Amino acid sequence: MSELELRQTTVDAEAAHDREWARRGRPRAGTVIAGAFVVLLLAATAFPAFVATQDPNAISAADAFQPPSTAHWFGTDESGRDIYSRIVAGTGTSLLIGVTATVIGLALGLLLGVLASFGGRVVDFGVGRLVEVLFAFPGLLLALLVIVVAGPGPVTATIAVGLSTAPGYARIIRGQLVSIRSSQYVEAARVLGRPPRRILIAHLLPNALLPLVVLGTLGIGQAIVWAAALSYLGLGAQPPAAEWGAMLSAGRTYLQTAWWMTVFPGLAIVGTTIATTVLGRALARRERGAR
Amino acid sequence: MTGRSAGTGVPAPRRGAPGRAARHLALLLGGAVFVLWAVATLTFFAIRLIPGDPAQAILGGPGSQASQEALDQVRRDYGLDQPLVVQYLAMLGRLVTGDLGTSYSLKVPVAELLGAQIGGTLLLAMCSLATAWVLALGLSLWSTGRGRVASALGQGIELVAAALPHFWLAAVLIAVFSTGLGWFPPVATGTPAGFVLPVTTLAIPLAGFLAQVMRESLLDAMRQPFVVSARARGESALGIRFRHTIRHAALPGISLSGWALGWLLSGAVVVETIFAMPGLGRTLLQAVTLRDIPVVTGVVLLVALVYVVMTVLTDLVARVADPRLAQEGAR
Amino acid sequence: MRTATPPARRTRAIGLIAVALAGGVLLAGCQAGEAPVSEEPVSGGTLRYASGDAEPSCLDPHVGGNYPQALLASQFLESLVSRDESGEIIPWLAESWEASADGLSWEFTLRDDVEFTDGTPFDAEAVKVNMEHLKDPATQSSTGYLALGKVDRVEVVASDVARFVLTAPDSALLESLSQPWLAIESPAGLARGMEENCQAPIGTGAFVVDGWVKQERVSLVRNDDYVSPPADAAHDGPAYLEAIDWRFVPDAASRYAALQGGQVDVIDNPQPDTIAAADESGAFAWLDAPRPGASNRIELNSSQAPFDDERVREAFIAAAAVDDGIDALYFGTAARSFSALSSVEALAYSEPALFETDLERADALLDEAGWTERDDDGTRMKDGARLVLRFPVSTNQSVPAEQSLFEQVQAAAKEAGFDVQISLLDLSSWYGALFAHEYEIVSAPYTKVGPDVLRILYHSDSITPAPSGYFANLAQVNNPEIDALLASAASTSDPAERAAQYEQAQRLILGGHYLLPLYDQQNSFLLSPKVQGARALPTVSTPSFSDAWLAE
Repeated sequence: MSELELRQTTVDAEAAHDREWARRGRPRAGTVIAGAFVVLLLAATAFPAFVATQDPNAISAADAFQPPSTAHWFGTDESGRDIYSRIVAGTGTSLLIGVTATVIGLALGLLLGVLASFGGRVVDFGVGRLVEVLFAFPGLLLALLVIVVAGPGPVTATIAVGLSTAPGYARIIRGQLVSIRSSQYVEAARVLGRPPRRILIAHLLPNALLPLVVLGTLGIGQAIVWAAALSYLGLGAQPPAAEWGAMLSAGRTYLQTAWWMTVFPGLAIVGTTIATTVLGRALARRERGAR
Repeated sequence: MTGRSAGTGVPAPRRGAPGRAARHLALLLGGAVFVLWAVATLTFFAIRLIPGDPAQAILGGPGSQASQEALDQVRRDYGLDQPLVVQYLAMLGRLVTGDLGTSYSLKVPVAELLGAQIGGTLLLAMCSLATAWVLALGLSLWSTGRGRVASALGQGIELVAAALPHFWLAAVLIAVFSTGLGWFPPVATGTPAGFVLPVTTLAIPLAGFLAQVMRESLLDAMRQPFVVSARARGESALGIRFRHTIRHAALPGISLSGWALGWLLSGAVVVETIFAMPGLGRTLLQAVTLRDIPVVTGVVLLVALVYVVMTVLTDLVARVADPRLAQEGAR
Repeated sequence: MRTATPPARRTRAIGLIAVALAGGVLLAGCQAGEAPVSEEPVSGGTLRYASGDAEPSCLDPHVGGNYPQALLASQFLESLVSRDESGEIIPWLAESWEASADGLSWEFTLRDDVEFTDGTPFDAEAVKVNMEHLKDPATQSSTGYLALGKVDRVEVVASDVARFVLTAPDSALLESLSQPWLAIESPAGLARGMEENCQAPIGTGAFVVDGWVKQERVSLVRNDDYVSPPADAAHDGPAYLEAIDWRFVPDAASRYAALQGGQVDVIDNPQPDTIAAADESGAFAWLDAPRPGASNRIELNSSQAPFDDERVREAFIAAAAVDDGIDALYFGTAARSFSALSSVEALAYSEPALFETDLERADALLDEAGWTERDDDGTRMKDGARLVLRFPVSTNQSVPAEQSLFEQVQAAAKEAGFDVQISLLDLSSWYGALFAHEYEIVSAPYTKVGPDVLRILYHSDSITPAPSGYFANLAQVNNPEIDALLASAASTSDPAERAAQYEQAQRLILGGHYLLPLYDQQNSFLLSPKVQGARALPTVSTPSFSDAWLAE
């Protein structure tokens, strides 16, 4: 079992406990806050110039290391750049890394999962072993290997993180497809003589798709955290890009002098992870409740 | 979500219990050997894709000014002038005899190098795993079945904990407990006190994950008939919690441990660097920087081995903890 | 345990206050001109050193030859000669030396009372064996091998006289020999073979390698028979310290926290902000020891477009404002350099006028060079090509403050229409980018004693890559006049002529707009107040603890 499967089971169990809430259809307070936060993130991604107060890359050595003030809400960094504006500007980059990595992981997982559940026994066994092998490379280790082979950089880091999440998705997807396959309406379609490919496209994938989206929401936050770790090791985003992980690791250097350089990007990462997870769970509850 | 090592569909033949167990064990071990072989093979060929000349890595690493003669000599010595297939078979042959080769940069046998490092990393990982378990169990026991506020608070703590990046947490812990309060040293010295901060750094996010899944299984367990009947018998709430439900809460935790160990080894790369501890993570990072291929391969294999062993172990433990699984056989 | 800690801490705090008070009294005593009682060195104790430099893969500095090796080797190996603070070469293991009139033969008279710590006598034969070891390809020496480029062989004239026979006169020979990468090791130690010698080389130094736990520490213990300090040492005889516990702590923040917590006594490579804070509060002593050789500078690759046009190079230098950034990022701990050489070098030549920031001039120069159009980003264009400068940065060689400075250079150059593309790379990838000429600007440190480093960095011979792909002339300076000056300065025996030729060469190099000097190669140490008598050797600025003691 992996972290993703864990999240999946957590969500399942939670949905089971929260049937009444789901039925009543009133969202929880936490969900509302998380939703508002995500809307804020999306606004920062779509209109960074509008949300930010200053040019995120405007350097002013004279203003370096300013603590938070009305002029600089979150203070300034070592080059006198406005940290609030950089966090806003970094939203897009960080979300892009998180989302892309998750999409890569999901796509690979989907491919493997479909192969495993429809390729017959031998293929299923093979895919199972492959997934097992991928699991034997823990996340950061796999990422480091990918980076050694392909060279460091944001694209490699994203791919690496995506790749390391793929086996988790693969197992969940396989499990879901197998359970849907044995469900009554697919059984009915088969009895009616529909070809397997039709069944896959018409019945299985649509049914598996919504859970996938939910699963993805749950994975985004962790993908951002892993990408941040790669940035800390100097293998992630490249300057002057205002990526959160890179900001965080730059700020760590000055923790004793300028705490705000570390705390605010850290809050952005933690906040995003929590918000996407809470939202993902709410989506899952909804989806379960609707079934 | 149970302890099956792989969620693959190997059909379960109907046989007697001993035969079933033996077959299950054989499958597990066979799978383990396969995984190790595949990891070795994948790593071997992936590493051929790395730009750069291994001979150069051997001769003082990047930026060295080795002569052509020295490069040629090294290529002969290390068999780098042989066809790829020959090199691959030679590597497999060495691996079977337990020989991991010689480090390019440190010029010492990889097995010796990693043998000296793995103890520290495993100790770190095990201590962190145990601490995370205790924290997660404590949190989930405390926060379940006590009403909305405790539940919401518990969930909030889990979410925050699971979202904390290691290197950030480490920095904050050092700032507070070393620089601020002076309780624990920021550099691990091999003393128990030096172990506290690294273990805490690794344990907190992991505890967040574990608590999430434990709380849900606790909730499940508390609805079970035997808990209801125990309550009817008049056992105290706390007693019920400890006697009946922990085992259920622990089950998913056990099956998560294989994954958790891999996750902890990932975290060790960062934690070992920050707290200046010797270990596999730091060795790997350095080997990656220096393109020390035998060491990278060695670490990957070793981690894979640990993972495989953990998977087999958790599978067995889960079977002991939940006899229903043994009944189910190797699915 | 938690309940036990606060009182213990209080005691320590009181102790600290007591030490501080005592220190204050002492200081007052000193100023009053009285002989300070406890300034007498105290014997005993273990010095705990936390190093942020990479852990060497081999402790023998003959193998490869990088700075981390030099840091450690300075504690247990010694060289034939050393350098004093004024830059004069002074005796160490060699008592005196004399060059022949043609400069092709040097005779070194050696100390005859020195033994290696394994009991092997130090003599001319040992010197010969060491030089042969350095020149042997199997040793894989890079730094030492290059420094001995003109040395053909070493002859044993008498047991205490060694003659170096050269293929060409070498004015840098003494400076080369003063470096830890050419230190003298026990022939018996070398004979053990590389694997064993790498673990614990045997020298004549004040300390002996006792053990090396990989990724953790090197244990050094006192050499009780030590007799051979350099001529400028503060005392003769064995070190005061009983041992040095040399730990590898890669993370700068952890290192400083360990120093603050009293877990270690000395740290190297501190962050500039912590140097400033420590220096201001007086909590820790700051040992500022810039490395010799080249300054830290940004090199402009003049071999390919756009920097094959000198006007574009000049424009970049005029646009790249660094003064404010250096002040802010280094908290006043680093002085701006205007020279290709370290300020440690007596022959360093500075020309500040060449490096004044002037955006208008940059714009004018670029217009003149034909980079007149601009795209949407404000980047200049010429014949459809964008004015892109690729800037590979090694995360292993550039500290965070320097990386931030490069980001500021990036922003400043953008104003003039340059698109500076920084890529942060690990060491192997970084060299890969250089070898493939995938760079327009780059910054690379180079440490060597003496101005001969100019020949390595700017002579056209250094354009041709070694078989490994390495080349030192990153600016790709290819100027026969500079070549002639550097070659002649390297072989002249007349100090005045040498100085004049190096100055002229530096004028041409700086005037050709090949580089943007930033500051000296930063090399700082923070010492706990109880560490007394430590210094940096004036050769390659590695710390020396043979005169150091731990005050009570």
